[in-house]
This record gives sequence, structure tokens and C-alpha cells, in this order.
Amino acid sequence: MQNMQYSFLNNNEKSGFQLPELCKKIAGNFNGRDVDEFEIYVSRSVQNEIEVFNSKINTLSFSDSTGIGIRVFRGGCVGYAYTSSIREKEIIDCIEKAICNSKITSKDELNSLPRESEFRYQTPYILPEDLFKENFLEFGIDKKIELTKELEVLVKKKDRRVTGVDNLIYNDDLSEVAIFNSLGFEGSYKTAACVVYVSVISKENKDVSTGDFFGYARSPGDLDLEEIAENAVNRSVLILDGQKIKSRRAKVILDPLVACQFLGVIAIGLTADRVQKGKSLFKDRIGERFFSIDLDIVDDGTMPSGMATRPFDSEGVPKGRTLIFEKGILKTFLYNSYTARKDNTKSTGNAVRSSYKSPPTVGLSNLYIVPSVDERATLQGLLEVSQDGFYVVDIMGLHSGTNPVSGEISVGAKGMWVEGGKFRFPVREVTIATDILSLCKNIERIGNDLKFIISGGYIGSPSLVVNDIMISGI
Amino acid sequence: MISRRLAKRILDVLLKSGGSFSEIYIQKKISNTVKLENSRIESSISGFELGCGLRICFDDGTFYAFVDSLDKESLLNAARTLSLAVDKSSGGKVLDLTSQKSPYKVKIKKYPSTVIPEYKRNLLVDVDQASRNYSSYIIQVTSNLSDSEEEIYIANSDEVLCFHKIVRTLLTVDVVARRGKDTRTGYKSLAKTCGYEIFDSISPNDIALKASRIAVNMLDAVNAPVGSLPVVIAPGFGGVIFHEACGHGLEADAILKEASVFKGMIGKKIASEIITVIDDPTLTSHWGSFKFDDEGFASRQTVLIRDGVLESYMYDLKSARKLQEHKTANGRRQSYRHIPLPRMTNTYINKGDSDPHTIIKSIKKGLYAKEFAGGQVDPATGDFVFGISEGYLIENGNICEPVKGATLIGNGPKVLKKIEAIGDDLDFAPGFCGKNGQTVPNEVGQPTILVSELTVGGTGI
Repeated sequence: MQNMQYSFLNNNEKSGFQLPELCKKIAGNFNGRDVDEFEIYVSRSVQNEIEVFNSKINTLSFSDSTGIGIRVFRGGCVGYAYTSSIREKEIIDCIEKAICNSKITSKDELNSLPRESEFRYQTPYILPEDLFKENFLEFGIDKKIELTKELEVLVKKKDRRVTGVDNLIYNDDLSEVAIFNSLGFEGSYKTAACVVYVSVISKENKDVSTGDFFGYARSPGDLDLEEIAENAVNRSVLILDGQKIKSRRAKVILDPLVACQFLGVIAIGLTADRVQKGKSLFKDRIGERFFSIDLDIVDDGTMPSGMATRPFDSEGVPKGRTLIFEKGILKTFLYNSYTARKDNTKSTGNAVRSSYKSPPTVGLSNLYIVPSVDERATLQGLLEVSQDGFYVVDIMGLHSGTNPVSGEISVGAKGMWVEGGKFRFPVREVTIATDILSLCKNIERIGNDLKFIISGGYIGSPSLVVNDIMISGI
Repeated sequence: MISRRLAKRILDVLLKSGGSFSEIYIQKKISNTVKLENSRIESSISGFELGCGLRICFDDGTFYAFVDSLDKESLLNAARTLSLAVDKSSGGKVLDLTSQKSPYKVKIKKYPSTVIPEYKRNLLVDVDQASRNYSSYIIQVTSNLSDSEEEIYIANSDEVLCFHKIVRTLLTVDVVARRGKDTRTGYKSLAKTCGYEIFDSISPNDIALKASRIAVNMLDAVNAPVGSLPVVIAPGFGGVIFHEACGHGLEADAILKEASVFKGMIGKKIASEIITVIDDPTLTSHWGSFKFDDEGFASRQTVLIRDGVLESYMYDLKSARKLQEHKTANGRRQSYRHIPLPRMTNTYINKGDSDPHTIIKSIKKGLYAKEFAGGQVDPATGDFVFGISEGYLIENGNICEPVKGATLIGNGPKVLKKIEAIGDDLDFAPGFCGKNGQTVPNEVGQPTILVSELTVGGTGI
């Protein structure tokens, strides 16, 4: 079983299974069909997932799946269909269903494939090895299992209060995407990525606490297991014996992982689709200052280290770098080609699909708050200048407790109470509440410790110090 | 979907190099989603998925692989490759396969495949108009109409063979209302495991009006209070409190991993004696119902808590074997690409005997939580949150102004003991539950309940 993943891949490659060729074959089936334009999106993904519990393999799964999504335009109407089967019968059926679907959607003259004159950026120079490292394939399944088990060992010996690891999952994905459209666009790329996630249970004096951490990399060898174990354990034991505190307004210091989650909610309202439909707090407010400090937020689909980096977006438009907020002022939104036409501007290369099952919408690439360059802006430094407040290490209920349309934010939080710039005691079972616009306005300081999470896009933020947040406890 | 002979052969190949259990799970799914937004039919999407998941269990482990076809050679190839991952000496042999029976019967009246696309378009156009006619404050309506027809075939080395079909229909309505600078949202859905007869008893426009009413009512909302307060939770989607606070902690994989506060509590009193909680996938046409679970086990009711005493966890095959318990009908998976896990189905707090009005009247100062945006739990600690999307202040026994931005936070085992009254008005609400990266349809339910004290996370004092 040394190289199972490799063998799965080779099996199919022997049978001449190449995505760009598959696209062309499918395109041949459009001859004589009553459509103005069409687009074929094919993705293939080879995955391994390993779950370890008590130093044994709990689950081990292999997958190799391919999907096809077909979009057609007819007289200003759009239709979509997808299939998980590459058999000719199913592909023809898929084309017919897409055409049939275009008969009930609303006519809109702006519906069409992207034209070359509609891109804001030129094709970026992204090295294929930034997205896919050859050494990814050197890791056989045995090595990946060993790596996962090693993380469990590291976690368990970090701290005597650690009593268990309730979730330890390694997952990798080698995927290939090809797009072909009737205007002549043909493109494909290959990406590989792996992620390992661990959740740690610790106990002391009958109190139980959990904490988790993860790592992403382009190749298993690049995962920093030591750092992941250290962080997961710290986040778990830090909160042991946490208590509720009295409700009050206070300053909060958000850990980068918490800040990233809030940034993800803010970013939903920065896509042109949301703005044009009246579902964004930022509508009609280009040029306004939203942050009190000179903060920059960038969406960069081209940065070499970004997990959302691609040569082109999910409708074939080149990715680019878009400065959304410059010195706290809103400059632009993120666009795909349809929303760009609507606002009489150009696409920023932000068309995304969650999979071949969806037509392109507007989404995020690598979106982040540009961190401070001040070397004193470490977490420790931020605590010292903040003096008193609540350091939030983890939040809960982000999805149910935030509303990107109305702006409400109220989530469960745990962390440390800070006095005189030092940790005093752990806090849990409290909520923190504010609203999106107040959150932006009340950020008074940012750290230099940029971290990223995958949530919608690849979202990054340093630690943030935010004033005037309502904490609810006793 | 494949012959009995081929199924037996695959099951044998899977056990060739060892393992105590092998399984084939085949799924064919045809789905359609039509979406309306900006008063336009924005998209219409059709999908076809067909594939087979193969599983081998041995000692503590599970090996899984899937293929996106039912081609005989692909299936046997995948089975051989997967079996190579097990390096034990002896293998098992499957003698026979027995077709399973289920007590759950449902007759589909209008299969989605017989519904013309124009009907769907018109239904959504009506929903849009009904919402916008409700109030001039409504600035956006997003509505999705989805349906699916699935065929599922399961065979395993315990000699189980089962085949069933499942039809689902779902309508969601999201409404945005704006007045001045205030923007509020309202959401309502209708979802059942049946075809388009779903709209015979409930009109799509009713769903539109309910969503619109929430968004418009919330325009008057004041900031939610902070601190501990008595909370009356309305019937229906309020059941998400049990789902988060306790339900996940009763799924047996959490017990196995010693990651649940309810481990070792069977037979013990964990809640006040007025509480009985049931998980029941046999409720006719409910969103979490099925004939067989995703391991081929016939659907049946499980009493989780009876009169305050913990009676059972929810098991899939693996956890039932390891804990030496009888399996319950809770082995579920998102698709053939996923490993089954213990999951809730239709899980509800059974009705009590209090009059809901009397419950509200008994509160001097508190919160009435009517609709929810969902929640999250950490089963290992029992800490949970859930977000209120429509809530009101209660003052001197009367429901008063609406409140915005309130999340409730608490601890599962503690909250169970603080439920002080249960109404006689049981109702259900459909939703989706995510766990370990898999999303499955399920339903929550409860009558009106009173929790004597919960932390409300607003911004108002």
C-alpha cells in the first residue's frame, strides 16, 4: 500500500484520461445545438483522509472523483447542469438539461461569457510549482499515516493536563481544473494541498477544556507539526478553570484566528453580487472611511504562498491583486464578469465556485488585513499597550451569531482576562457583541502576526485590538 | 442497481485480506434547484450523481474508497485496491444477502421529475410578489426551490441487502427589509421527504409571508439585553437548543472518543423529570425521515431521555459494535463519498402539559425566543451557543418589543436541569446539520419551554 494514492492516479492516466482533452470531447457534443455560448468546467480531485485515534488508524479513505459543470447562454438566458459521470450518455444528458434550464431563467442582456476586454488584470505569472510541488507525490500513504500519528504523540507529551485528542484528521487533495469555452478560452491548472487538524481535551480539577489548531501546506513535508501541537495544547489548557465574568463594556484583543473569522463575515459584504442586491452594509459607500486607523485590506489571488492562488478564476479570468480598503477608506468591491458589466467596470478575477456543481458567483481569493510592520506589535506588545481587557482566543457560533446583511454580531467567546498587560484568569461561557460597522470603526491597533484560515476564501488577519465591545456573562 | 452476484463478489474481495465487515453503498441522485433573486429567476441547475462507496471495518479502523460509476471492473478494481490496505491474514466470506424490510411507508404523490419547469418558475415568482406585497420596506427576496430523487442500494457482509428511494423537496425564503439606516432579515423554510404534494397543505406564499413578517417586525428591534435571564423558547426551531446543548453529545462517536459530557450517564437522571426526548426517523414525510439509515438498518424510534433519565445514545454500526450495544437507526452520511457517522434524524423534546400562555404569563422579566439562526456545541465540555433571529422582551407576563443581535450561551448538562416548564404545543422545523465536514438534512422539534436562566449576549443594558 506504499503508494496507493499514486496508483489510483496512474490507473486513470494509463487510460488516457486528461482534463483538457475531456473538455474538447464534450465541446464536440455542442455541434448543432441551439446555444449562443457555452462553457465547460471539469474538475478532478484525488484525496486521502486519515483519522487517527489513540495511536491507531480510525478511518482511512481514498477518493478519486471527477465532475463536469456545463453553462449555456441562449438569448440572454443562462442554464446550468452538472454530472459526476464521464460517460457519454450522461454528458449529453447534462448538456440537454442545461439547455432546458435556460428556458425558465430570466432574460438579462448582461448574461454572457467574459470577454478579454473585461478583465482588470493581465494574466499573472504564477509558477506551476507554487500550486503543485512535485515532492507531494513522494509521500505515500504510510508516510502520511506516520505523520498523523506523530502529531498525536507530540500533543500528548506537551502538557500533563492533556487527557485526549478527540479529533485528529489529515487530509490532502491533488486536484486539477480545466475550463473550455466557446469564445476560445482553454486553460487548466493542477494544485495540491494538505491540511492537518487536531482538537485537544485537557482536564484539571474536574474542569474540561478543548482547544484546536491546524496547518495548511502544499506538501505534507512542509507541515510544522511542532507548531500545530504547541498551539492546540496551549489553546486547550489556557482556558482550564475558566469562569464567567460580570457583563461589561471592555476592550478586546482578538487572536488572529478569531480576527480572521470576523474578517470573513465583513468580507461577505465586499463582493459586488451582495452589494448590487442590497445585501451589503457597504452599498453606495465607495470613498467613505470605515476604519479609524489607516488599515489596508487586500484580496490577492496571485500571492505565491496563498492557498487560494490560481492563474485564473472559475470562469477563466486572470486573478489579480485588488486593494479593497486603503488607509481605512473603501476603494472598490470584488467582481466577476457579470457583476462587473452591471457596474460598468472590469472583473477583478473573483469568480468562484464551491465545486463543479455550481455556476460561478463572486467570492474571495486570499483576502487579508495588511499587518503592522512595527516589531513591537506582537501579541505581548499589544497586551502591554492595551493594559486591561479581554483576550479572545476562540469564538463559537459564528454562523448563527453574525448577520452580514444587518451587521449584528453576537458570539460565544473564551479567553483570558488581562490586567496591567498580563493574563489574570481564564474566562469562558460569555458572549461578545457588537455590529460590523462598529467593529471596523473601533479597531484601534493591529499586530504584526498575520495568520490565515480557510473560510470561504483564504482569509488572513493579525491580532486586533478592538475598543468598546459588550461582554455578557453573569 | 448491481446484481446480487456482483455485490457478493465485491463484499468478498473487500474482505480478502482481512477485516470484520465489508459494505457497498450505491447512490444515484437526480437534483434540481431553481433560484430567484432581484425578482428574477437567476439560475436553474440540474445535477446527476451516481457512485459507489466501499467500506472495510477491522478492529478499530475503517477503510473507505469510492468510485463515480457502477462499472463492474471499476468497482472490483477499487475493492481490490482497498482490501490491499488491510494486512491481516485471513478473510471472511459472505454467504447470502437478505432483503431488509422497513416499517416506514410513504407514498409519493407528485415526483419532482413529473413537475414542469414552468410550475417552479411561477411558484418562485409568486413567492417574490407575496413577500414584496407584504411591506414596502422589503428590498430583496431570495428564494430557492430544490428537489431530489435518490435511489440507494446497500449490501454488507452481515448479509444485509436493501434498496430504497428517497424524495426531498425544499423551499427557502430569505427576505431583507430596510427602513432608513436599519436593515433586517427574515428566513423561513419548508422541507419534507416527499414530492411536490408538499404544497398541497401549505402554500409557498405562507412561507413567504412568515419570512417577511420576521424581517419587518425586526425593524423595530431594540438592542438585546445582557446577562442571565429566564428564557421562554417557542415551539419548532427552538428545538435547536436541545440539538446543540445535548443531542451531539449523545451521538455515540463522541462517547467512544470520551469527548462527551454524557459518557457513563446511561440510567442516570440528567434532566428534570418533565423532559422526554425522542429521535424518530419514522415520522411520516418529516425532513429527517427515511426507510433505512445509510447502513441499511430499518428506521425506528429511539427514546433518548425518558422522564429526565438518560436511556440511550444514538449509534451507527461501528460505535454500536465497539460499545457492545444494539444499533439505532442513526448511521447517516452525506453521500456515497462519505463515511457514515452517528447523526440525529428528527430529534425533539416531547410535549408536556403546560399551557404556553401560562408559561409566558409567569415571567416578570425575560426573553421570548421565537426563531433561530442555528447554533454550535463543543460536546466535550457541553458548552453551546445558539443565535436568535426573532426574539422579544417579556415584561410582566407580556410579550413586548422585539430584540436584535442576541446569542444565547450555556452548558448542556446545566441547562437540562433548568428547564422548568414544558408546553403542550409540540412543533417541528427542518434544517441542515454539519458535522465532520458532512451535511445531512435533519429536523428539530419541541413545544414551548421555559429555561429558568440563560446568558443572553446582547449589547443593551
